[in-house]
Amino acid sequence: MREARLWLIAIPILLWTLLPIYHIFLFSISTKDSAFSGALWPAKPTLHNFGTVFRQEHFYLHDFWHQIWNSVWIACATGVLTLVVATTAAFAISRLKVKGGRVVMNAALFTYFIPAAFLAVPMYKAMGTYGLLNNRWSLVLAMVTLASPYAIWVLKQASDRLPWELDEAARIDGATPLQLFHLVYLPLMMPSLVAIGTYALLLAWNEYLYAFLLLSNNIPLAVGLGHFLASDDSPWELLMATALIYAVPPAAIYYAFRRYMVGGLTAGAVKT
Amino acid sequence: MATVAFREVHKSFGATKVLHGISLDIAEGEFVVLVGPSGCGKSTLLRMLAGLEDIGGGQIAIDGRVVNDVDSKDRDIAMVFQSYALYPHMTVRDNMGFSLKLRKEKQNLIDQRVANAAKILNLEPYLARYPRELSGGQRQRVAMGRAIVRDPKVFLFDEPLSNLDAKLRVAMRAEIKALHQRLKTTTVYVTHDQIEAMTMADRIAVMRDGRIEQLGEPLELYDRPANLFVAQFIGSPAMNVFDGTIRNGSVEALGSRWPTAVRGAEGQQVKYGVRPEHLEPAASGIAAQIIVVEPMGAETELVVKIADATLTVMTRGRSSAGPGERIFLAPQASHAHLFDAATGLRIQPP
Repeated sequence: MREARLWLIAIPILLWTLLPIYHIFLFSISTKDSAFSGALWPAKPTLHNFGTVFRQEHFYLHDFWHQIWNSVWIACATGVLTLVVATTAAFAISRLKVKGGRVVMNAALFTYFIPAAFLAVPMYKAMGTYGLLNNRWSLVLAMVTLASPYAIWVLKQASDRLPWELDEAARIDGATPLQLFHLVYLPLMMPSLVAIGTYALLLAWNEYLYAFLLLSNNIPLAVGLGHFLASDDSPWELLMATALIYAVPPAAIYYAFRRYMVGGLTAGAVKT
Repeated sequence: MATVAFREVHKSFGATKVLHGISLDIAEGEFVVLVGPSGCGKSTLLRMLAGLEDIGGGQIAIDGRVVNDVDSKDRDIAMVFQSYALYPHMTVRDNMGFSLKLRKEKQNLIDQRVANAAKILNLEPYLARYPRELSGGQRQRVAMGRAIVRDPKVFLFDEPLSNLDAKLRVAMRAEIKALHQRLKTTTVYVTHDQIEAMTMADRIAVMRDGRIEQLGEPLELYDRPANLFVAQFIGSPAMNVFDGTIRNGSVEALGSRWPTAVRGAEGQQVKYGVRPEHLEPAASGIAAQIIVVEPMGAETELVVKIADATLTVMTRGRSSAGPGERIFLAPQASHAHLFDAATGLRIQPP
């Protein structure tokens, strides 16, 4: 009975979530003429659109490979940089008990009270001041700024759960704080690090607003997709095929690390 | 091997004073146990010796060198923790060799030391395993192995057996003692278990509320406890203690006359203490009623009632007596302990 009720909720939610994705898929395997036919399955399904995208055979797709490379570069750099910032911060706050560490963490979390969209313009101004506009680093730095407070918080919670005696044992064994960090702390934090790295990576991969504002021609694919809508006669089937391709890496990453995602992100949720 | 000296060591956490000037000298190769109830400051004292806790006042010296401002790693000590504190991501071999690796020792020296320690502790078959693949006793041995490979001046043990079940605890107790006899390294061992203290120590320091109540060899503490606290803390089952008054060379208590070798002032209020094994049943003496009989095979524990006090009696062998029966107890003057009722201090017989 309980299960039946659960299904009653789950099925509509599943349909609601999958319907747009099905729509993307449907468009991407339709020809230009049949894309808006309204049929649930195209008369002549084709993979031709994907070929067009990969060969960059359309005005909007001339920079496809360059843009996807930008997306990969920005996402990876954001992931790595967020990890560096958050791991060292969490280690300092949680294990070295640096004075004022908690204040710093809470102040960082406080920035989430201001919606990211409000910060976009000041961020644009700041990047302009440092001459970083239209440089991929500007987006990376912006994304790291947005991802770090949450990342620090999650990693701090996770590292609070490591037994304190391990640090003491390592100190007696002769470890310096730096040795403690890379020989004991990092290996034990690995699941949380994977989760947080993935989180930051996907955050940057999916970002549109900041990418649109900060970069003008060195753009990632997310912004490139937006350009499709610049004309009245948009090639919807190509847009959807590109979108589908763009959605594959995050789905694959999430699938590969799903074990860490659930475990790692909820690890710090409650004190046990 | 080294000496360890505590001189007027103080410690406070905020406004709470946890150690009130502890002085204690430990000789080379000695096995000293700090024992006391939780919160008595024994672990804090050990952690201060380890360098894990700042020294509030006074001095701690290892081998004559004051170490107040010396880092843990430079004190040449090794510590075994209650929770083992093994590195979960390292094999037994790596756990044991970690300190040597940090000291940048040569790999063949590390291998040799680890192999040697593994042999002593019967850990050879487990060197490639991870801590999670070991039983509690094996983990404890790895923790000891990690201490041994360093060949430190002093071993520190912080309640190392508390996480083990009763049977394993007895076995590990013997192993630690055998290890000490073999290596003869100066050892400071903290426990709340007085049996561990009695069985392992060369000398015991009984602590309470940040002070050492008595320092001495195990049987000295057992036979001549300096005060009521030590008397009741050391020994299991605990010493029977009840109020009495000195009259005509013996103690009047629980409606009977109890013998004593102490010649106190007539009418002096005292606490009379007698250990359960010194209250053997006899043909005549002080009458008592049996409440509970607890046979343990080699000996039998009787819980008896005299007036309105409950006492424990330990008899050798087996007892045919049952609950409700009356028996007679004949304590001897030489086995009686007298304490001042007001101060709790031992009143020495002449």
